[in-house]
Amino acid sequence: MTQFLLQTVWLIPCYAIAGAVVSILWSPALIRRTGPRPAGYLNLCMTILAFVHSLIAFPIAWQHPAQQLSVPWLQVAGLDLTLPLDISAITVGASLLVTGLNMLAQVYAIGYLEMDWGWSRFFAFLSLFEAGMCSLAFCNSLFFGFMILEILTLGTYLLVGTWFNQSLVVTGARDAFLTKRVGDLFLLMGVLAIYPLAGTWDFDQLAQWAETATVDPTIATLVGLALLAGPMGKCAQFPLHLWLDEAMEGPLPSTILRNSVVVATGAWVLIKLQPVLALSPVVLTVMITIGAVTAVGGTLIAIAQIDVKRALSYSVSAYMGLVFIAVGTGQTNAALLLILSHALAQGVLVTSTGSIVLNSITQDLTQLGGLGRRRPMSALCYLVGVAGLIGLPPLGGFWALLKLADGLWATHPWLVPVLLLVNGLTAFSMVREFGLIFAGSPKPMTERSPENFWLITLPMMVLMGLTLHLPLILQSLALLPSWATLNQEMAILLLWSSLTGIGIGAVVYVGQNISKPIQLPWKPLQTLFAYDLYTPQLYRSSIVFCVDWASRITDWFDRQIVDGAVNLVGLASLFSGEALKYSNSGQGQFYILTIALGLAAIALSMSWPLILH
Amino acid sequence: MLSTLIWFPVLGAIAIAVLPLRQLKLAALTISGVVLLWTLWIANQFDFTNPLLQLQEYLPWLEPLGLHYQLGVDGLSLPMLILNGLLTWIAIYSGREEIERPRLFYSLILLVSSAVAGAFLAQNLLLFFLFYEVELVPFYLLISIWGGEKRNYAAMKFLLYTAVSGALILAAFLGLVWLNGADSFAYQALMGQSLPLWLQIVLLSFVLVGFGIKIPLVPLHTWLPDTYVAASAPVAILLGGVLAKLGAYGIFRFGLGLFPDAWATLAPGLATWATVSVLYGATVAIAQKDIKRMVAYSSIGHMGYILLGGAAMNALSLVGAVAQMVAHGLILAILFHLVGVVETKVGTRELDVLNGLMNPVRGLPMVSALLVLGGMASAGIPGLVGFVAEFLVFQGSYAVFPLQTLLCVVGTGLTAVYFVILLNRTCFGRLDNAIAYFPKVEWRERIPALILAFTIFFLGIQPTWLVRLSESTTRSMVAAVPSLAQPAIAQEEGGDEVMKWQMTND
Repeated sequence: MTQFLLQTVWLIPCYAIAGAVVSILWSPALIRRTGPRPAGYLNLCMTILAFVHSLIAFPIAWQHPAQQLSVPWLQVAGLDLTLPLDISAITVGASLLVTGLNMLAQVYAIGYLEMDWGWSRFFAFLSLFEAGMCSLAFCNSLFFGFMILEILTLGTYLLVGTWFNQSLVVTGARDAFLTKRVGDLFLLMGVLAIYPLAGTWDFDQLAQWAETATVDPTIATLVGLALLAGPMGKCAQFPLHLWLDEAMEGPLPSTILRNSVVVATGAWVLIKLQPVLALSPVVLTVMITIGAVTAVGGTLIAIAQIDVKRALSYSVSAYMGLVFIAVGTGQTNAALLLILSHALAQGVLVTSTGSIVLNSITQDLTQLGGLGRRRPMSALCYLVGVAGLIGLPPLGGFWALLKLADGLWATHPWLVPVLLLVNGLTAFSMVREFGLIFAGSPKPMTERSPENFWLITLPMMVLMGLTLHLPLILQSLALLPSWATLNQEMAILLLWSSLTGIGIGAVVYVGQNISKPIQLPWKPLQTLFAYDLYTPQLYRSSIVFCVDWASRITDWFDRQIVDGAVNLVGLASLFSGEALKYSNSGQGQFYILTIALGLAAIALSMSWPLILH
Repeated sequence: MLSTLIWFPVLGAIAIAVLPLRQLKLAALTISGVVLLWTLWIANQFDFTNPLLQLQEYLPWLEPLGLHYQLGVDGLSLPMLILNGLLTWIAIYSGREEIERPRLFYSLILLVSSAVAGAFLAQNLLLFFLFYEVELVPFYLLISIWGGEKRNYAAMKFLLYTAVSGALILAAFLGLVWLNGADSFAYQALMGQSLPLWLQIVLLSFVLVGFGIKIPLVPLHTWLPDTYVAASAPVAILLGGVLAKLGAYGIFRFGLGLFPDAWATLAPGLATWATVSVLYGATVAIAQKDIKRMVAYSSIGHMGYILLGGAAMNALSLVGAVAQMVAHGLILAILFHLVGVVETKVGTRELDVLNGLMNPVRGLPMVSALLVLGGMASAGIPGLVGFVAEFLVFQGSYAVFPLQTLLCVVGTGLTAVYFVILLNRTCFGRLDNAIAYFPKVEWRERIPALILAFTIFFLGIQPTWLVRLSESTTRSMVAAVPSLAQPAIAQEEGGDEVMKWQMTND
């Protein structure tokens, strides 16, 4: 029985897919009588089923060595596309995390989207994401991983576009799709290019190949960069980070899943590809640089936002930047730990801020304030989320960051200050939000804002509990360092950076002595961060501008030159016909003259050689 | 057996001329349905492992001319026949009930189906040419009688272009036979021709330009947007779904098949041409304001992948190219059908006017959902048939033409751009309540799209069904290409593993 459950973990994505497919019946209003609600409940049930399956399978997988399954998909012309599945503790664990989070997100959504008309679509897409992420976890092949990532790109488009009659949603969905798609296409180029080199797409075999491969450095760099671009888009790294911010226009319950695990899909592929990327030192440097720039830049931008959801989304980019640093320096275990702790902490942060947003009917930080007394549960959850995210012992984020800092100290010491800086700034940014939401005196929008009902509060509390229990879970899985191997200096540095960030944030934003909004002495710097380093404008005036004009010019060329030439030929023949018809005068003499002239010309040309001689 | 595919619709067309008006559509549907079933039965009889012609039929006809009635089916023509059968049925089904002059309309569609099937089956060059030209007349009438505004201009343009295409092809066929001194136009006999390379190149260029008009390739394409836009939805489905494939099929059968040496010489140029077509079609599509025109230009872009697959000339890319022919047919058919539905319900095709059709109550939710599916299939999202085909083409051609392939990948990105523009403007957005009193979408309009969507989805999940039809034939076509091409591939690649991969591939 236990073996059977383990062998059939591939069913976990299938449950969700089945739910999503059945939801179609409600979505284009085929079934109108019941309203769309049954679709939501059905998807929730399927997710619970998947969660229970993962939950039972996880301890079994933990005790057993990793198993491989392969599902033949397509054999054609020497190309063997067989889907390899990797059933190990880590993949089952990932699916456990995804299904668990999605289960909570769906319960939350039932409460949050109480009166919404896009129910069945929304839940179907949540299930699609769950299925995609679970299958990405199990799938052990770059090719199939690419397929899943690309389907999820479409999923993002549709999920962000749930409320499609708002113009900001429409542009947000468009930008999310196109930005991710750019990353995907580079990834596709990498997928195409690596097969002739390595002869395989299986992650295991790619890693084996990379150990001994001798590849031309230029090619290795180009392929590596292409492979890097896919995760960059998914993880919202600079300069492909814009979409995550705009995706916040979508319904909040989907943000729970997106901020915590969907962005991590890119990091997951990145971790699997690490041996291949390591073939080129340039790629690793680029990866570390992008990660560092995003981590610092993202946090700074987050501090300058006045929208709760957007501020959180930039922190997500920043943490994914840290994951990039971790993978770039070869610390995949630290990266996985960071993803896990970040997922849970972000889950709590999004659910608690969402619970505030729902009742206060605004997500503008300048309109919020003074909610601490009315919303003690949300405030507590928020604080736990902050503690779990940053390096504050004993929660998960601390151990992940410590592990990363420890490894960085040994290999890339100059990155440790970056890490500490990001940690401190994140702490400041989170406490800033806390201060703006919960501290101070109530404002008009927060006068009537009680705690929400159980459908929203319960998932939030459960996530808080999970965040608090994460160290115990890690302990029981023997993933925490022992006291003897602990790098105590690093731990103290990390703690100090967190405490400094929290302290300054608390003084400035929780304390009421400094008047808000706070202005930096140099205004342009503040607007630079507030407007996301002017990235949208930059895109609009560069890539969008180029594509727009290229298409207009080609269209003009097509209408005027190519089609014009064709029409000119037609016109010319019509015109010459019209002109020539007047030569038919009907006079016999004229015809005879023409015939005679023609005959003479023929005779002349026939006898030309004779005349010459 | 194969003749049934040609003559049954002809008999049907005659029968329709005498049937009472009320049963016409049903009768046409029955006839095309029988043809579709018959095609599927032939597919069932077909031996997938055998690369050669099967189920051949032979009847001597005009001995002195070298024209015989020779039919046969192989892995290249079978998918096209199935596509033809399916899309003909869909086109008839999706036509309006109260169409004007129904007798003529259904007869002409059946005649088109018959002639196209004949062209796919013919194994004699002259016979092919006959069918190729015969199909032209009903199409001309279908466009000029039931088309939209500017239908006469469009139909005339289509007629002239295709006539030129026919003349070039006939010239190439005649040249091939006379220069070769052959006494027959039989395809099999001409396969081993041994003309000097430069002559082959000249003849091949005639074939390329001739079929290039039909496909169409840039810059021979300007008939296409006008014609597709002017044609009514069922005719556009046939034009884009089936007729364009006739061009691609011709290029493979009579270009690659008859002039492998010359083809190998021209291959780099062909790949570049394909890339230009892909990028050009996609870029122009972005600038369009009329959704039907946009879809028409997308068709130009997507036919480029087929040529790219052909130019790369390995087993993988050719299988991909054939798969792309089917995929493109299905996707274009669903897009044209849906665009037609949107036009009849909303009354406009202008991007700037359309808005918010996804609205579940007053909009066209199911049509919008299917439009999203069609657009995404065209943009090459995995899980739908377009991805499989494009991926096989890319993976095959990357080994030979890396630069061109990567540029074509950029082309799929541009495809995503214009489909997002299309979907954002038509399906997303806010529906204006003042104008949103659309007629109800009938099941007659939904079912064709649902069938096509299901097929697109099914073949995307289970592409084996698609590729195994053509795999052995394309493999043998590659084997027929002289060794000239093979060292070139190996050189470009370098490295032992790659060569091994290539060899197992070919």
